[in-house]
Amino acid sequence: MKKINLGIFEKRVKKKIKKAKNLKELDEIFKEVFGKDGEIKRISKIIPKLPKSKRKVFGEKFGRVKESLMEEFEKRAKELKEKAEREAEEKEWIDITIPPKKVPIGHYHPITIVRRKIEEIFQSMGFEVVEGPEIEDEWHNFDALNIPPDHPARDVLSLGKTFYLKNGGLMRSHTSSVQIRYMEKNLPPLKIIVPGRVFRLDAIDASHEIDFWQLEGLMVGKEISVANFKAIVEEFVKRFFGKEVKIRLRPSYFPFTEPSFEVDISCIFCKGKGCSICKNSGWVESGGAGMVHPQVFKNCKLDPEEWQGFAFGFGMNRLAMLKYKIPDIRLFNSGDLRFLNQF
Amino acid sequence: MKFSFNWLQSFFNKKLPNPERLAEVLTLHSFEVEGIERLGKDFILDIDVLPNRTDCYSHFGIAREISAILGFKLKEEKWQLKEDKNLKIENFVSIKVISGCKRYSARLIFDVKVGESPDWVKERLESCGIKPINNVVDIANFVMLELGQPLHAFDFEKIEKRKIIVRFAKKGEKILTLDDEEYNLGKEILVIADSKKPIAIAGIKGGKETGISEKTKIILLESANFDPVAIRRGSIKLDLKTDASMRFSHGLDPNLTEIAVNRAAYLISKICGGKVAKGILDYYPEKVLPKKIKLEIEKVESLLGIKIPKEKILKILKNLGFKINQKLIVEVPTFRRDVSIQEDLIEEIGRIYGYDRIENKFPVSALVPSKKNPEIFWENFVKDVLVSLGFTEVYNYSFLSKEDIENFGFEEVIEIENPASAFYQFLRPSLIPGLIKDVQKNQNEFKEIKIFEIGKIFKNKKEKKALAGLITGERFFELKGIIDTLLKRMGISNFYFDFQEPSPEESKISIWQIKKSAEIKIDGEEVGFLGEISKKILEKYKIKDKIVAFDIDFEKLANLATEEHEYEPFSIYPAIVRDISVLVPKDVLVEDVMNVIEETAGKLIRDIDLFDIYEELEEDRKSLAFHIIFQLKDRAILPEEVENAFQKIVENLEKKPDWEVRKK
Repeated sequence: MKKINLGIFEKRVKKKIKKAKNLKELDEIFKEVFGKDGEIKRISKIIPKLPKSKRKVFGEKFGRVKESLMEEFEKRAKELKEKAEREAEEKEWIDITIPPKKVPIGHYHPITIVRRKIEEIFQSMGFEVVEGPEIEDEWHNFDALNIPPDHPARDVLSLGKTFYLKNGGLMRSHTSSVQIRYMEKNLPPLKIIVPGRVFRLDAIDASHEIDFWQLEGLMVGKEISVANFKAIVEEFVKRFFGKEVKIRLRPSYFPFTEPSFEVDISCIFCKGKGCSICKNSGWVESGGAGMVHPQVFKNCKLDPEEWQGFAFGFGMNRLAMLKYKIPDIRLFNSGDLRFLNQF
Repeated sequence: MKFSFNWLQSFFNKKLPNPERLAEVLTLHSFEVEGIERLGKDFILDIDVLPNRTDCYSHFGIAREISAILGFKLKEEKWQLKEDKNLKIENFVSIKVISGCKRYSARLIFDVKVGESPDWVKERLESCGIKPINNVVDIANFVMLELGQPLHAFDFEKIEKRKIIVRFAKKGEKILTLDDEEYNLGKEILVIADSKKPIAIAGIKGGKETGISEKTKIILLESANFDPVAIRRGSIKLDLKTDASMRFSHGLDPNLTEIAVNRAAYLISKICGGKVAKGILDYYPEKVLPKKIKLEIEKVESLLGIKIPKEKILKILKNLGFKINQKLIVEVPTFRRDVSIQEDLIEEIGRIYGYDRIENKFPVSALVPSKKNPEIFWENFVKDVLVSLGFTEVYNYSFLSKEDIENFGFEEVIEIENPASAFYQFLRPSLIPGLIKDVQKNQNEFKEIKIFEIGKIFKNKKEKKALAGLITGERFFELKGIIDTLLKRMGISNFYFDFQEPSPEESKISIWQIKKSAEIKIDGEEVGFLGEISKKILEKYKIKDKIVAFDIDFEKLANLATEEHEYEPFSIYPAIVRDISVLVPKDVLVEDVMNVIEETAGKLIRDIDLFDIYEELEEDRKSLAFHIIFQLKDRAILPEEVENAFQKIVENLEKKPDWEVRKK
């Protein structure tokens, strides 16, 4: 009878296990060892034939070897399985340079985006968002705003810039009409902004529209001042365009404000150094403003001795043009999806 | 308006800052300087003088501003007009003002020698873009540029009967002006006339016949104050704008006529020789006196939001020509026609002191939460839903052309009296035409178009906010699904789609293809439409694809919308799904079939889901296939319950003539 050295047997099998290149090979080795006619079976058949004195020691050792080999098989099987999976994964790949598949999504009009941003900023400062009619009467569009008939500003606005309707009424030429409508119905203190469409008779070109958007603002209280106006408006432009943007006021003239100013913002393109957008001045005109004229309060049945405040008007298309570098105002009403789908 | 830097400098002994710096100072404190141009040894500033500041339509006016801003003293120029005591003006000429004139001042100068102007006069005029003509006319223009008062010189001997009349023109009167243009005058045109005919268009342009020529010996120098409205209207009517009309139409100080006529007479006698007759022919029935305004220092501080020392305030006003007494009563010089209330004075103080010196201060006010505007809220909400469903938002013009109106057969539209062009002649009564035109513009670039707009529409003298959108292609059910989603998201559940009833007037031309469109109804009230755009419209706008659109009354929708939403517990018990396929005549509605199923076994059914319509199987019948989902909320449904219910459904469906449940 052949003498069996369990130690050598164990070593030999372990070596084989290690050499197995894949699960199939390992499986074959396993069958050779643990299979029906495998080596383990054969060895176990020998045990009863051993002398009693050796049987117990051999048996115990044989048990340990079996266990150890089994562990080794399992360990190697796990390794090989992982390896196989890794290799399989490596074979599967995609060309990530293929252009992206178009996901159908919608787009907001840039005026809507700008409007939401504006509303968010002013609402956070306690302003209420108000709308008003687009068909107006002469009182709200002109007279109440201290632009009586025969006033030069009335002629400029009324004959040259305002659309009249055949059956009476007109298309509002500014959102300032809503100041009046609001003050006729609400008592100060008040803080409102009015985003809305306005209409001006003009020759349409890259910088002139007949149907565009304005942002009106009005704040009235007992002590509302120019200093307050500067703080509110500068806060707005900083949050809208960026922290580094500043404002400056220039004297201007509007019949419904006194004092009146033109609001310039430091050029966001050249940071005030001078470029083609700001015509090398470092400043860009962005809107008109002023302290509400006492006559306007009187026209709204409010006492100008008691109340004072500021009003302003910005062109929303202009704000959008500056923000997104849109060169042509006609794009807003164009319905051109090549433009709209960029927002 | 063009201003010469050198001319401005001539008012000061002190050297002015360089032109760029001066421009900046003026921009910040007075008027925007829009450009600086070099002209020989001079610089020309293009200053955008504000329309209410006619006192600054002159070099002297701008110099006064500079003096106030920089604190530079104005030079006092000395000149003395010499009159000839033997020639009394009233012996030669008379004046009659009928209308349109607050003041008419004139001087008479004898024995003038008309010729070329000296270089310094020509230079001044040319720097401001005015062509020199002859010494008399040039001096009149020079004084206008210097003081802001337009003047006119007549050849006195050509004035019939030596009579000056200011009146409106009569019908049929004509005039040939200095530049050889003939104008038909009318009742709105103010003129200077002699006893026979108009000799000048008042405040706008002189007549050729009485113009100054080399033969002129005696000149009548007019310095008048015409009614701004009359000049403005006349200028628009004749489409004739001049340096004079521009100044008059904004309103001038009547007290300026006298200074200006004296200044011009002085210069003419000095440059052209001649004797100035004694006295001014002066029509000035109502003398304009300085206004007085009480100034309260506290109001200055409260309105500007900054404390400015009282002495500083007084100095600013004095430098601008205001007089102030101990009680702070401010006397406004008559050339400051723009100043009439305290706020006007505060503006003067603020701008000269410098708005840049006012520090930003956030207002202190009661913390009142701003009211929510539900219409704006829902507008934003709808935009969010539609954009998330793949729509692009557009803003179209509020205007439509006559052709659009006719194409769509709109009635009761609002027409613009003075449209920008024929394309924009009417207010849109619907958002649909704009959207269809968008498809027309985009169809070559984009295969699939999905757009919407929220905006005002105008009908019957009224405006309304509307919501409309469209998708290209034959996709009625997709769009129906979109509206279904939109309404449900807005918290509206009691809506349904109804067949469109064509109204008599709509049957002529309609937006919709009636049999392929539906009314959207909420609680029985119609809120809008949904459906295919009619073939006629598609043809007219050369649209290649089919279009399905929706058009909704946004205001009604926003009123019915609600943010209220309640969680509904779902069944935790398993569902059993059975499919059924029914053959029905082609004109049977899916809804009718679903109603039979619902009525038979509604209590056991959670949902009925149409998953197939097949029309090609038979000629007269179509096959409808549904998933019926049986499920109960309180317990598991039993297979035999489902089986019984299903059998009953089959039975009830087959009771209808020509309905047949297909067995598998």
